[in-house]
This record gives sequence, structure tokens and C-alpha cells, in this order.
Amino acid sequence: MEPFFVWLETSSLSVWVRESPSLFAFPIILSLHTIGMGLVAGLSTAIALRILGLAPRVPLLELRRFFGLVWTAFWINAASGVLLLIAYPTKALTNPVFYLKLFFIAVAVWTFGAIRRLIFADPGLDFNPVHSRGRKLAAGMIFCWAGAITAGRLLAYTYSKLTSI
Amino acid sequence: MYEFQNWLIKTLLSVNVVRPFMTSKWGWPICESLHFLGLSLLIGTIGAFDLRLLGVGKRIPISALHRLIPWGVAGYALNVITGSMFLTTEPNQYILNPSFHLKLLFMTMAGLNILVFYTLYWRRVSLLGPGADTPLPAKAIGGISLFLWTGIIVFGRLLTFYRPGACGKNETATFLWTCFK
Repeated sequence: MEPFFVWLETSSLSVWVRESPSLFAFPIILSLHTIGMGLVAGLSTAIALRILGLAPRVPLLELRRFFGLVWTAFWINAASGVLLLIAYPTKALTNPVFYLKLFFIAVAVWTFGAIRRLIFADPGLDFNPVHSRGRKLAAGMIFCWAGAITAGRLLAYTYSKLTSI
Repeated sequence: MYEFQNWLIKTLLSVNVVRPFMTSKWGWPICESLHFLGLSLLIGTIGAFDLRLLGVGKRIPISALHRLIPWGVAGYALNVITGSMFLTTEPNQYILNPSFHLKLLFMTMAGLNILVFYTLYWRRVSLLGPGADTPLPAKAIGGISLFLWTGIIVFGRLLTFYRPGACGKNETATFLWTCFK
């Protein structure tokens, strides 16, 4: 992997994100990643809390209006995350916690999709109690987002090697 | 101003009771993780409410969505607690940091925005049923809230890049940068 890390870390994009004194390089990419995190994890947690029975008078079907924003924020984070990864590939890819973070994100996204297919496909949703499987999915999704956020934050403290160059 | 900041740093250091924990191996990282979880809870619930004020998901009655606000307040409380732990452990990293000044300014404005909302518009807005449009001032308050919380996140992240430091001989303080002797 080392030659690949060296090649990536000496690429102009990697150098720019990592070393540019511009506010629009690392600082703004990191800020976008945090705003996206708040929207993806936060909004889907709010939807999950409703599924779990909080705020029961909120019509579940109408919460679909927030799905588009959750996905938009998800793609902002995928893009900003790839840029951060290009800046510090050795730091992330040699740290097992990074793979744990990706695992939590993958399960959370799968759960979000499953909730949409299982719960939100039902047009009578607001007249029937939420399926118990839906509640389990909602609780699982909150857990996975919390895990992804914690693992992501701990990346700053658990890496063994910053760069290969 | 610098004397006041120095006094504030000393005072904050003297009221800190969590230093052994914060300087332990996992103290600071645990608090940072909690700070990010609180952030997400706040943005998810208060952000959804702001969006409803702006007209997203109009079929949701405002008062029904308001039941999620205590979760946002819990996230905020968590962040005030963890934030105070950071601040009193390393006060010079914040008190002399212009990004922290802007973060506090935005937090104050967000607080005033909330105050205006609850004193002037909450009664009227809370009675709105499904499908109802909010009055223009309520929309403005929702938009301002989203803008301010986004700014608070950005200035929080920029803290690292505007840590106060001693500027070199030929360096001059640029926007947001603090040099001290």
C-alpha cells in the first residue's frame, strides 16, 4: 500500500487540501463534513425518534419531505470525506477505527433505506401503529450514527501514522 | 482588553474541577465525541423545526413537531457542559481565539432569535394546524436560526486553525489571527 499512499499524498489535490493556507482547503472541507454530519445523523435521528413513538402527532408520511435533504447531506459528506481521505490516506487507511466508522455508516445507511422501504411505503402509515421491526430499525439506526460519529471523532486520537511521505 | 482576557483565563483555570479527567488519555476525546453527538441532536431536531417554519413538510402541525425540541435542548445542554470542560481546561486556546469570539457572538444571536420567537410569535404559530403557512417573521426566524447554527458549527471547527500563537518577526496578524507576545 505504501507506494499508493506516497503517490496519492504527492498528488496536487492531496497537497492542496492538506497544505494550502486557504480557508477553502482543509478548514472549509472539514466544516462541510461537520454540517453534513449534523444533518444526516440529526435529521434521520429525529425521524427515528418519531418512529419510536416520540412526537406522536407528527404525521409520519410527511416526514418524507426531509428525506431529500438527508440524502443531499449524505452526498456532501461522501464528497468531503473523499477529499479528506485524499489529503491523509495513510492516516485513515492504516487505522482500524476508520473501517469501524465506514461499517457504522454502511449499516446506518442500509437501515435508513430499510425504514423507507418497510415503513414509508405503507400509505396507511399514519393510521396504523408502526411495525415492531420498524422500531428496531429506528433504534439500530440511532445507535449506528452515534457509533459512526464517535469513531470519526476518535480518528484524530487513534491513528498510528500521519503520512507516508 | 488583553488584561481582561488574562484575568478571564486565570479565573476559568481556577474554577476547573475536571482537569485530571480532561488530561487523562481518553478524557478530551470522549468529551469531543459527546460534543459532536449533542451537535447532531440539536441540528436534527431544531433544524427540522426551523425547516417547518420555512415551509418544509407543511402537513406537520407545528406544535406536534415542537415535541422534539426538548431533544435539541438536551443536545445543547450536553454541549454547554462538554464545551465548558474544554474552555476551563485550556482557556487560553479559546479566550484568545477569534473564531471562539465569533462562535460566542453567533450563540448569543441564536439565543436572542429564540427569545424573539417565543415572546412574539410562539402563541400564534403554535396554533397553526396541518397545511398552514407560517407568517413571514416566523419564516425569517427559522432561516436566521439555520444560518446561525451553521455558523456556530463552522466557527467551532475553525477553532483549531485560529489557535493563538506568537507571530514571527515578518508575520503580521491577518484576518481572524491573533498574535501575542
